[in-house]
Amino acid sequence: MVTRSTHPGRSWTWSRIGTTSALLVAAVYFLLPIAWVVIAATKSPGDLFGTNGLWLSDTPQLLHNLQRLFTENNSAFVTWVANSVLYSGLGAFVATLLSTACGYGIAKYSFLGKEKLFALILAGVMVPATVIALPLYFLLNTVDLVGTRLSVLLPSMVSPFGVYLARIHSATVPDEVIEAARLDGAGEGRIFALVAAPMMIPAMVTIFLFQFVTIWNNYLLPLVMLSSEKTFPVTLGLTLWNSQTQRDPYFYTLVVTGSAVSMVVLVGLMMGLQRFWKAGMTTGATKG
Amino acid sequence: MAFTRDTPTPGVRQRTRLSPAWGFVAPFTVMFLAFYLAPIAYALVDSLFATKSSGLGFGPPQRVFVFLRNYTDALSSPAFQASLGRLFLFCIIEVPLMVATATVLALLLETGKALWPRFFRVVYFMPYGVPGVIATLLWGFLYIPATSPVLQGLKAIGIGLVPLSSTNVLFAIANISLWLYAGYNMIILTAALQSIPTEIYEAARIDGAGEWKLIWLIKLPLIRGSIVLVTLFTVIGTLQLFVEPLVLSPLTTAISSDFTPNMAAYANAFTKNNSSVAAAMAVIVAIIAFAMSYIFLRIVNSKGRQAW
Amino acid sequence: MRTTILLGMGVCLALGLAGCSSPDATATTDPPSEAASSAASGPVELTFQSWVPNIDKAVDQFNAAHPGIHVTLETITAGPDGGYAKMFSAVKAGNAADVAQVGYDWLPDFVRNDAAEDISSYFKDSASLFADWQVAAMTFADKVYGVPQASSPLGLYYRSDVFAEAGASVPTTWDEFYDAAKKIHASNSERYIAAFAFNQTPWLLGLSEQAGAVWFAANTDSWTVNIDGPETMKVAQFWQKLIDEDLVKIEADMSSEWYADIQSGNIATWICGSWGDAIIRGNAPDTAGKWAVAYMPQWQAGQKATGTWAGGSANVVLKGTKHPAEAAQFAIWLNSNPESVSTLVSIGAGWPSIKDISSIASLQSDPTVFDFYDGQDIWDVFAESDSNVASRWKWPPLVPSLYSAITDNMKSAIDSKRPLGTAFTQSQTAMVDALKAAGISVS
Repeated sequence: MVTRSTHPGRSWTWSRIGTTSALLVAAVYFLLPIAWVVIAATKSPGDLFGTNGLWLSDTPQLLHNLQRLFTENNSAFVTWVANSVLYSGLGAFVATLLSTACGYGIAKYSFLGKEKLFALILAGVMVPATVIALPLYFLLNTVDLVGTRLSVLLPSMVSPFGVYLARIHSATVPDEVIEAARLDGAGEGRIFALVAAPMMIPAMVTIFLFQFVTIWNNYLLPLVMLSSEKTFPVTLGLTLWNSQTQRDPYFYTLVVTGSAVSMVVLVGLMMGLQRFWKAGMTTGATKG
Repeated sequence: MAFTRDTPTPGVRQRTRLSPAWGFVAPFTVMFLAFYLAPIAYALVDSLFATKSSGLGFGPPQRVFVFLRNYTDALSSPAFQASLGRLFLFCIIEVPLMVATATVLALLLETGKALWPRFFRVVYFMPYGVPGVIATLLWGFLYIPATSPVLQGLKAIGIGLVPLSSTNVLFAIANISLWLYAGYNMIILTAALQSIPTEIYEAARIDGAGEWKLIWLIKLPLIRGSIVLVTLFTVIGTLQLFVEPLVLSPLTTAISSDFTPNMAAYANAFTKNNSSVAAAMAVIVAIIAFAMSYIFLRIVNSKGRQAW
Repeated sequence: MRTTILLGMGVCLALGLAGCSSPDATATTDPPSEAASSAASGPVELTFQSWVPNIDKAVDQFNAAHPGIHVTLETITAGPDGGYAKMFSAVKAGNAADVAQVGYDWLPDFVRNDAAEDISSYFKDSASLFADWQVAAMTFADKVYGVPQASSPLGLYYRSDVFAEAGASVPTTWDEFYDAAKKIHASNSERYIAAFAFNQTPWLLGLSEQAGAVWFAANTDSWTVNIDGPETMKVAQFWQKLIDEDLVKIEADMSSEWYADIQSGNIATWICGSWGDAIIRGNAPDTAGKWAVAYMPQWQAGQKATGTWAGGSANVVLKGTKHPAEAAQFAIWLNSNPESVSTLVSIGAGWPSIKDISSIASLQSDPTVFDFYDGQDIWDVFAESDSNVASRWKWPPLVPSLYSAITDNMKSAIDSKRPLGTAFTQSQTAMVDALKAAGISVS
């Protein structure tokens, strides 16, 4: 069998046309808002409300909008992107280490209360993030962390779903390999760091990406925690500008241009790493 | 167990057997306690108190223990009841819509009959990288006649759609969630479809099964676990409903400040400066989330093999 | 060790001198104290939290004129959208900013939560510079808790071209407003005289205030709440009539849809404060020359009643600041120095709270503004409106709860086609219940 039987030859059959048309319709739906925002990013505030949304205006000013986007408020937008990268990058990195170690520990050792602990962590997956955010704000307020970058970073480092994925993926590390390393006299930490972790890298990348996007897209946590714009991530910064449209409509253009730019950045990043998503999902979704 | 190298006495053996695992498990567990369980505990305690002033209200307020008053107040308030009802209605709209769309897209892509499957996969997945707030801002523009080419087009052919009217607003919000997460859920399902061994299809085809039979008898049953996972995540996602209505709220009369339980909690904490009521509302949502997840998994698992 | 002592001395010196010197508005720079403190320990660092767009320009002016004090601006989420709540928690945690932007309507909650510093001693010499009713709004139990920045006397912005096309005259009374509404909508079914801004409690409140409503009054130990009195109901019924006859467009103001409508002329008037100018000019530059401003329509011909957009906005020294004297000095200078006030006017912060506006450059002549209104000096209208503000209101605590109640009830009244008056009746009950639940007396 050279090709999968589900891939018949590339002939123009009715089912081929039908399937492709259906998928094209869906693609138009998914692309519509993205096309709108990219076009809107080239418009002046007046044209934004005065011209057709899917057509360029007579006087496109993308460069002008970009220039203002990156310089407005002492280059606040650049700070926000940097903050988002810090929160998402560092948060996801630590989250990946913590949950991989925990998932590995649960998968490869037996200890008292193991399944209870795992059940508790899984219950954590079920708790809506919105439920955690408000009490966490009052709690962190009592230890003076509210308003600091740590108030967003620390909670972002906990990924119960990551533990779930890591436990499943620990199956890719054969017990025999661990046993052999032990016989060679390696300590448990060393085995994890030098033997198990390298074998789990695809899983770790998946956890990292998942958490990265979760933190990047998070709005409520920074919304409740942060008050100074210097600490804002992109999501919060853009809504801050959006609220200022009440006093200066030019902010509409800044919000739209900023949305387009941040979208291009993250979508590009995700597409570049798409194969890792698939790799992680396969095992994550079918085992367990 | 064989995970210890030197075990002189049973007592020490017990301890050394536990220690390496906890070395791996403890760091996460500590953070989990601090940032997941502690806030819930804090909310539970705070929800039992209330703040009181006196006179004209310019003196410092006092904190008093009111036991379950905040819960009974919240649950007996018609506005909060309405917001819970809205949440259930949204669940009923959103969950089947999401699961069906993601499944149909995944099946269409995996029939092998489509042109450019890689292109489509990427396009559908793209919105997942767009933060919910930003997606809502964008759809907000597309829901307003003045800025929406879609509504302008519909109007030109005589259809006067008002996405943000009180009858349509839940669908308008469901559409935003669908746009954001359908592609992500589709990826989970296509991954599951791809892991089905091709020999199964061949055997079925030899038995004379058509594409529809293949879907109903082989593909869907074999990706059942993933469908359950997608459904569960969608249910939890719908219970979080907050950002979309919050951002759309200024644009329409159909969204009040307590449109969803999360919005009501947020308004109490940040507009009305009433953290105890907010805490009680957060606890109620958490209990509902647990109950719904539990009931859902019970139903699914009782019908055959364990899915998750 | 040595630096600590020097630092301490510097702070004492700065505090002492700032306390002695009178912060006269016309000569607010205080070289001796600043020179002394900066020589000893560098400038005093203050943080100012505000969400007024472009207010950094005024802050920069302050910093340039005061080498001994350096103010850092923090742009924060607008107060009612969560900014205030965070200020409260920051004060509790002891890491608050030094000065903050606070609306008159929220100030009582700052006092109630012990989040505002009593600045009476720093403010007393400057009090006479500011409008009396606004100073009164800052005062609770004879203590002053804020420096007034701007009020929002209302005026009527209108599209002269739309009125001309419809053959409508500019209304001086609400009856004429109704007649003009009919003519404008009859001339073009897409056009409306105004948006009914269900989302904007301050707007509804200003209209009610103009009709003579007094929603809140303070007795010795309890509040009188009268949100659904006859004056408010008169306003509700008037707009109800316009809605019923499809003469106004039900639409959130300052929304994307609304911006499109004021550009196209589909919305022909807007009742709002002087800061509305910045919004109209910024959004609809192509309509230059087509706008004008008139005094608000009256309930009785010949009167000059007016209202405000929920009072105004103040700068408050937050509790826990290490430099209350400098913080108060900053707040006073920012809002009384003629150049600073001129900047505040031009960025759209609102109508100045100071009495003497003759020295405010941007109010005297501003070609970019006046040309947009076909040469009209629109500030005359707001100056007159400001002088007629009848400040009989006293804000109680929990006004934020009232705002969300009014907006929610207004939305639901419109959505279910109930009379607008029910929204005020329901809000009256909600506000009284909220006050009582918080232990505050209502009579």
